[in-house]
Amino acid sequence: MDLLQRFTHGEIDAFETLVRQFQGDIYAWTVRIVRDPGTAEDLTVETLWRVYRARHRFRPDGNFGAWARRIATNLSIDYLRRNRPEVSFPTEPAGVQQPDPLVQRETRERIQRAFRRLPAKLQVAATLALIEEMPYDEIARALGTSVGAVKLRVFRAVRILRKRLSQAGIRPE
Amino acid sequence: MKGHEDNYMTEHDDDRQIRDALKQSFPPVNTELRRDLWPEVLRKFDVRPVRVPWYDWALVGLSAVMFLAFPPLVLVFAYHL
Repeated sequence: MDLLQRFTHGEIDAFETLVRQFQGDIYAWTVRIVRDPGTAEDLTVETLWRVYRARHRFRPDGNFGAWARRIATNLSIDYLRRNRPEVSFPTEPAGVQQPDPLVQRETRERIQRAFRRLPAKLQVAATLALIEEMPYDEIARALGTSVGAVKLRVFRAVRILRKRLSQAGIRPE
Repeated sequence: MKGHEDNYMTEHDDDRQIRDALKQSFPPVNTELRRDLWPEVLRKFDVRPVRVPWYDWALVGLSAVMFLAFPPLVLVFAYHL
């Protein structure tokens, strides 16, 4: 019996082998989305636990890595949804750009806050596509959707972000 | 037509600017896992499932009987949720 079959039968040794084999990949994917190492570790542990609990639903001829990554993506989306910042930033007159490093840092923080307030699904698509520059088909597989849907989410994320930044008087350089 | 192209170019530039701004605002993260997570996964096996007390089951049973006997109660219940 091969490893994946033994895993679906609940053999703990097989699961341990899979954890050791895939934990790095799941963590790397999760930390790209949530961008915090501690949170990504917690979510990776939770992902692996859920993978074990859902082992009966996994087909041994399937792609274990892709399946685990999809569970990790869903957990990350839930996490971002629960930890969305509540407060928006005040609106300011547009158009003033200052080279002061302090102002630049503040601008970056405000861009981060505006980004974190995007709906979680848009945020994940935009993070992976624009910040991490992952291939669209890989993102689509992890989100369980089509490439077209991912492109649409990225487009909507950019449009919302552009509007919010412009309202706050932030002009990206 | 020219105006449409200009709009397209401006929007395209804006997208590039937003992408650049995001990349500056979110520095690259270290994707290397620092430790083995297997012991923590294993610890999850030891956590016992939460036990539901008998009176909660009794309440669920009573509610089910009430809903079966008086179906309109479902609406009243849903309203108060």
